[in-house]
Amino acid sequence: MCSACGFPALAGHWSDAGVSSPGDKMRIRFTRLAIVNRLLKPYRLAAHDDGATPGFQLLAPDGARVMVKNLEELWKEAGRIAGTAVDPLSARALGDE
Amino acid sequence: MIVNEAAETPVDNLLLTNAAHADVLAGGCACCDGREAFVALLRTICGMRDAQGAGAFDQIVLETSGLADPGAIATAISGDQMLARRLIVEDVIVLVDACHGAAQLSDEALCRAQIEAADRIIITKSDEPSARDTDRLIQTLKLLNPSANIEGAEKGVPVKLPAHDDATPYPLSGSGIETVPIKPHRLDISGGGGWASFSVWLSAVLTARGNDIVRVKGVVGSPDGRLLLQSVRNVVQPPEILPEPDDTGNGFLAPAEGVIVLIGRHIDEPTLERSWQKFVMGTGS
Ligand SMILES: [Zn+2]
Repeated sequence: MCSACGFPALAGHWSDAGVSSPGDKMRIRFTRLAIVNRLLKPYRLAAHDDGATPGFQLLAPDGARVMVKNLEELWKEAGRIAGTAVDPLSARALGDE
Repeated sequence: MIVNEAAETPVDNLLLTNAAHADVLAGGCACCDGREAFVALLRTICGMRDAQGAGAFDQIVLETSGLADPGAIATAISGDQMLARRLIVEDVIVLVDACHGAAQLSDEALCRAQIEAADRIIITKSDEPSARDTDRLIQTLKLLNPSANIEGAEKGVPVKLPAHDDATPYPLSGSGIETVPIKPHRLDISGGGGWASFSVWLSAVLTARGNDIVRVKGVVGSPDGRLLLQSVRNVVQPPEILPEPDDTGNGFLAPAEGVIVLIGRHIDEPTLERSWQKFVMGTGS
């Protein structure tokens, strides 16, 4: 509960909705990480989730690591490192170039 | 009801006597210079509602200034920690003046952004131009936003609109304005892992394409229940858990679970399907 307004606190980013039980949360974490990594691969990036802290670690090709809080931050930071937006509908992501 | 006037002196509020409660927000548009005052007013209204307890209102109507971008207003609400938890942008209603609509659509990017964001488009003064001109305006609006309901009204009373589907839309050629019309695109995600998987892909799509994808709507399954997904540009409303199908809620007609509608430009259904298969399902190429 949020002490200011008495409503349940936001789970975080909108993408984190719909999963409140800790068991479900653990299960989906790895499914989601696999999708994130499939999307990052064409941009030579990868993400890591230690299973303990919220958010992800983004791994750049030069070995640099950046902590991001949620998916939106992850895509923005990945786009910044790659020099182009991580776009699931683009020819690059779909392997058409 | 909140009436927002970009001008310093409110005038519209004198016309509003039937609303249960009216607040006037003058001297700045809620989507830009009046944004802080608007967010503060909404917070006050939410606080008032808590104090009222049972029988409190459950809906806020905002009459924006004519210059407001609905996408920016949705951003202001979702960007506020308290409001994001309490409010959902339910319906964007845009009024179009039948006499001036065509000219505004051809010249003004803001006017097109308003039409594209609309769930309902209400044409006013539809009997003033010729029926043929009103028909052309309706076809132009349908081209710009094929998923909105288009209705006619005069001073709050519904009126019948002419209905000749063969009328030619007005040319949309304004300089510096996006001329590719938006279209609805369907994506069936019922075979996938529900919200937890779909939202990963969608968050990447909206981060990259937030300006091209003006709306996303759908119902997606999750461990906690069916979630109602709604976005305006790259702002996604906090997804609401829907009541089970036998309970119809507040007259809300939920679309079928697992079918997502993405309304936008520069996208197509085969590419959406291929991308979803490749990244979410981990199949195909
Ligand atoms: Zn504004």
